[in-house]
Amino acid sequence: MQEGQTRPAAKPVTPPFSPVLLLGMALRPVRPALLQPVFDAMLRVIRGRHPDILERMEPFAESVVCIDPVDLPFMILFEPHPADPRLVVRRAVDPAEVSATIRGPLETLIALAEGKVDGDALFFSRQLLIEGDTEVVVALRNAIDGAGIDLVEDLTSAMGPFARPARRVAGAALDLVAHMRANVETLRQAMIAPALKDRELQAARLSELEAEVRALRKAARGQDRRSRGMA
Amino acid sequence: MELARPELVCPAGTPAALRSAVDAGADCVYVGFRDETNARNFPGLNFSRKELEEGIAYAHERGAKVLVAINTFPRAGQPERWHQAVDDAARLGADAAILADIGLIDYAARAHPELRLHLSVQAAASNPDAIRFYADTFGVRRVVLPRVLTVQEIAALNDKIRPVETEVFVFGGLCVMAEGRCALSSYATGQSPNMNGVCSPAGHVRYVEEASGGVTSQLAGFTINRFGAGEPAGYPTLCKGRFQAAGRTSYLFEEPTSLNTLAILPDLIKAGVTAFKIEGRQRGRAYVAAVVQAFRAGVDAVMAGRALPDIDLDRITEGGRQTTGAYEKAWR
Repeated sequence: MQEGQTRPAAKPVTPPFSPVLLLGMALRPVRPALLQPVFDAMLRVIRGRHPDILERMEPFAESVVCIDPVDLPFMILFEPHPADPRLVVRRAVDPAEVSATIRGPLETLIALAEGKVDGDALFFSRQLLIEGDTEVVVALRNAIDGAGIDLVEDLTSAMGPFARPARRVAGAALDLVAHMRANVETLRQAMIAPALKDRELQAARLSELEAEVRALRKAARGQDRRSRGMA
Repeated sequence: MELARPELVCPAGTPAALRSAVDAGADCVYVGFRDETNARNFPGLNFSRKELEEGIAYAHERGAKVLVAINTFPRAGQPERWHQAVDDAARLGADAAILADIGLIDYAARAHPELRLHLSVQAAASNPDAIRFYADTFGVRRVVLPRVLTVQEIAALNDKIRPVETEVFVFGGLCVMAEGRCALSSYATGQSPNMNGVCSPAGHVRYVEEASGGVTSQLAGFTINRFGAGEPAGYPTLCKGRFQAAGRTSYLFEEPTSLNTLAILPDLIKAGVTAFKIEGRQRGRAYVAAVVQAFRAGVDAVMAGRALPDIDLDRITEGGRQTTGAYEKAWR
C-alpha cells in the first residue's frame, strides 16, 4: 500500500496550521515502529487506570477503530478486546480492515479524550469526521468520555518515583506548546496577510458591483413601468 | 407572590458526567441502567449497579439527588428486567424513579411505597385528567411534560393539578412527537425508544462523505439528509429528514435544532414549574458541564432578581441552531 493511500481525496478535515502540523512534518521520516513503545505505554495506562473503557467496549470486542490525527503522518488502530487489547501505530491503513474511523486534528482528539469538548458538537460543526460503523464510534466516545481521562496525570502516574518530576516536565512542555502555538499563529497571520488584503479589496469591489446591479435593476423596472403606462 | 426556586435536573450517561453535573451545580442528576430499561440505551453509555451506587454517594455527599430513568415499556410477559431495575434503584437509594409504563408504575408503587415516583415524558401525559389518574392511583408526585405545550398552557395545567409537580425540558434535543407513542424509528430500523430505548439507533447510521466536502446522513440505508460543505450537520433522526417536493427542499417534521429556553426562564418559573430538565444523557461531560453551568447561572439570576446572563451555547447545539420550540409557538 502506498503511503497515505487510506486518506480519501475529499477529506473535509483540513489540518490546522499548528505546532502539531509542524511536528508531524518533522516526524514524517520516523518509522512507526519507533513510536510503538509510546502507544504500548498508553495501553498499559488504559488497562491499569481506566479498565472501564474496555468494559464498556465489551460488546464491540472484535472491532477495530482507526484514529486518524490528520496533522500527523500516522494513524492509530485500537482493538478493544478486553483480554487482548491493542493500540498499534501505522503509517497507512486499509479501510477494509477497520470497523470505523475517527478523523480530526490531534489537539481536537486529545481534548475529546479528556472530555474538554463535546464530541457531538465537534461532529455537527464538521471539525471531526467519522466513517464506518457509527455504533462503534459512539460506544468508544462514550467509553472514553466516561473514563475521566487526564492524559498528563495518567501517563505520569505510571512513572512511580519519577511521577512528580515528570509532571513538572509535562507542565513545561505544555507551556512550550502554548508558546509555540502563539508563535505559529503569528506566522500564519503574516503568511495570509497579503491574501486577506486581496480579499478585502475583492469584497469592496463586489459590494460596488452589487450596488450597481441594484441600481440598474431599479432603473430597468422603472423603464418597464413607463413602457407599460405608455402602452 | 414569592417564586418557588425550581430544581435543575441534569443528564448523566456516565459516572464522569454525573460528577461534572453535580460539580457544575445540578440539584438532581438523572441516569439509567446499562440496558434496554431506559430510553437512552446507547452503546457504551449508562450505569452499572456499582457505578450507580457510587454516583448516588457522590451526589448525596454534595447535596444533590439522583433520579433513575426506567422509562421504556417492558416486553409483554417479560417484565422481570424492568422490575429488577426498579428494585435496584430503590435498594441503592435513588431519590426517585422516572417511569412510563403503567404496569411498571403499579409494580413500583406496590413493591416500594417509599420510592418517589416521577412520570416520564414517555408516558405522554399532558392533561389534568391523565395526570390526576397517575397521581391518585399510584401516588406519582411529578410529571415530566411533553415538549408540545406553550408556557400559558403549562401555567393553566399547574393550576389544575397541584400538588403534583411539573418538570419541563429547558435545553437539548427536541422531540416533537407524542413521546412514548412514536414508532417512526421502528419503521426504518426495527427499534424504537419505547421498547428498545433507542431512536434512530447508531448501529443503523452511516455518514457518507462526498468529494464536494458535503456529507450524506443515512438511517438503515435511507438517506435522511444531505449537508453541503461547511454546513452544520445533524444526527439522522428519522423525524429530522430533509425532503425535496414540488421543487422545494425543506424539513417535514422538525429541523436539526436544539431547544434553548434560557431567555424565557422567568416565564417558566412564573408558570409554576417545579423542575427544569436538561436533555442529553447521550452527550459528553463537556456538554453537561457547559449547559448545567449556564442554567445554574440563569436560575440563580432570576431568583436573585438579576438580569439573565448572556451565555452563548451555540457551539453545542445541533445544527448550530436554537429555538424556544412549542413554549412560544412563534410559528403561529
